[in-house]
Amino acid sequence: MTEETVIHVEHVDAGYDAEPILLDVSFGVRRGETFVILGGSGCGKSTLLKHMIGLTPPLAGEIRIEGDRISGGSEEERARALRRFGVTYQSGALFGSMTLLENVCLPLEAFTDLPHDARNLVAEMKLELVGLKPYADYFPADISGGMRKRAAIARALALDPEILFLDEPSAGLDPVTSADLDRLILRLRATQRITFVIVTHELASIFAIADRCIMLDKPSRRIIAEGKPADLREHPPCAAVRAFFNREPDTP
Amino acid sequence: MVLTLPESCSAGEVAALWRDALPSIAKLSNGDALVLDADGVKRCDGSGEALIVELFRRSARQGFAITCRDGARIVERTLSLFKTDAFDKDPGLLSPKRNTHTGEQVGWAAVRIFEDICEQLAFLGEVVVSGCSLAVRPGRLRLRDTMLHFERAGIDALPITLLIGFLLGLILAFLSAASLQQFGVEVYVANLIAIGLFRELGPLITAIILAGRTGSAFAAELGTMKVNEEIDALTTFGLPPVRFLALPRVIAATLVMPILSIFATLSGLLGGLIVLMGMSIPAVTYWQHVIDSSTLTNILLGLFKAGVFGLLVGLVGCSHGLQTDRSADGVGRAATAAVVGSLILITIFDGIFAVLSYLLGI
Repeated sequence: MTEETVIHVEHVDAGYDAEPILLDVSFGVRRGETFVILGGSGCGKSTLLKHMIGLTPPLAGEIRIEGDRISGGSEEERARALRRFGVTYQSGALFGSMTLLENVCLPLEAFTDLPHDARNLVAEMKLELVGLKPYADYFPADISGGMRKRAAIARALALDPEILFLDEPSAGLDPVTSADLDRLILRLRATQRITFVIVTHELASIFAIADRCIMLDKPSRRIIAEGKPADLREHPPCAAVRAFFNREPDTP
Repeated sequence: MVLTLPESCSAGEVAALWRDALPSIAKLSNGDALVLDADGVKRCDGSGEALIVELFRRSARQGFAITCRDGARIVERTLSLFKTDAFDKDPGLLSPKRNTHTGEQVGWAAVRIFEDICEQLAFLGEVVVSGCSLAVRPGRLRLRDTMLHFERAGIDALPITLLIGFLLGLILAFLSAASLQQFGVEVYVANLIAIGLFRELGPLITAIILAGRTGSAFAAELGTMKVNEEIDALTTFGLPPVRFLALPRVIAATLVMPILSIFATLSGLLGGLIVLMGMSIPAVTYWQHVIDSSTLTNILLGLFKAGVFGLLVGLVGCSHGLQTDRSADGVGRAATAAVVGSLILITIFDGIFAVLSYLLGI
């Protein structure tokens, strides 16, 4: 892992319709690390992720991916930034009318000149990476939730992105499947040299996979902690961080 | 033969190599040798890895030897990640689980039609049972939901119903006036429009609007609820989805249809009036002919048909909605099936009404 910062989030106000959920958020994600955005429900994790992947522009501030602005810049700049990352959503968001192989092939068809055989082989190899090659000709409705999430990762990997954003990868999964997914993330990081940005509030996953994390706070609408998860648990900078890591209820 | 991989082994470069080099490699056989020069490779993405796997796969199949120049250990890394024998099938032959054989497709289509009919009958049975229990205890009807669907299917559909009814009357008047004018009896256009609209076209056109607008909406709403597991939640609460979700919609559609049909008919009569006034027939004469030909039998028959059509649209829409597959694709198919099914049933029942009214001399 290098110290080079690949994602710059600078003075961002996050939210919709001029109603900020987060104020003046700044941080950087380094190449090759697994960076986790954590916090309680409704603190703005997913909103911030939507700004980072360019689905909605932030209310203020700037987000750059390898120097290219994802919102507010030129179309070329945005297109360059978009090609650098893949995203998987909470539900997997696979296309139900396509097989897993077709789902993975879709971005290859749209963005490469690879012949049909080559596209299929690349897609099969991506499915092999996530352990789903035997299910290549299954439809998303025919596989389990955990498999759908792994298939979504395979689709996100189709164009070999440098960065992978994962929104709540463990949501709705049992602890064993969730741990499987964590191992997959670790393996992909090791073999594919991908930078991961993960939104989650699953403590077990955070300690298993995160190199660094930021914690968002709903009442203050700001980042209240940044660092390694183990350090934050050992030396929490404030009561809210201690409460989160020790699973304590909110104090009245 | 020597194959030199480019410095950047990404999709663009690999696509060209795949097209240019692989046909020659396909001719290699036992005893031939391929030198894979990967020394200069600095970046290799999924496409490059696929090419390497493909070469080793072909080597195993065709029997030629591969010697690697692998200074950057790209080939070694790729082969450690992907076992070439894991991709023993020709990727081009890997086909999704879809039936493309015509006979098989026809067979499956017949099975689906049979299953569909069974499901519709089962749904109809449930509706009848729920309707009977509701008749015993009317307080169990979700009146607020029923009124909401009544508003959406009725009041919200009024503008389009009035417009289409008006244009229908206008077109009908023009078409019939052109013929009747030759005999100097264009005033009887009023009778034709009144009988046609009250008895046949008013209910029919309103039913078509209701099927396209409301039947599809019922199917999509209930289908999305099924995808979101809301219907499962209702079932586990012990609330039957048919009584809770379908009955308010079916009742609303049945009640709203006769009212919409009256509006469509009146609007159509207005369209006819405008055409006939343009032909110098006084409005009083027009209305007199309309009143004379609008017998109570015609009006009641039209309203009864409208009610039945509303019932059909409601039933078909809700039935397809509740039987939706759990996917976005399934919701779309349910909405389409609801409209198509409603239109078919409306036409069949309209034919039955025509035959019955002829036999009964109505």
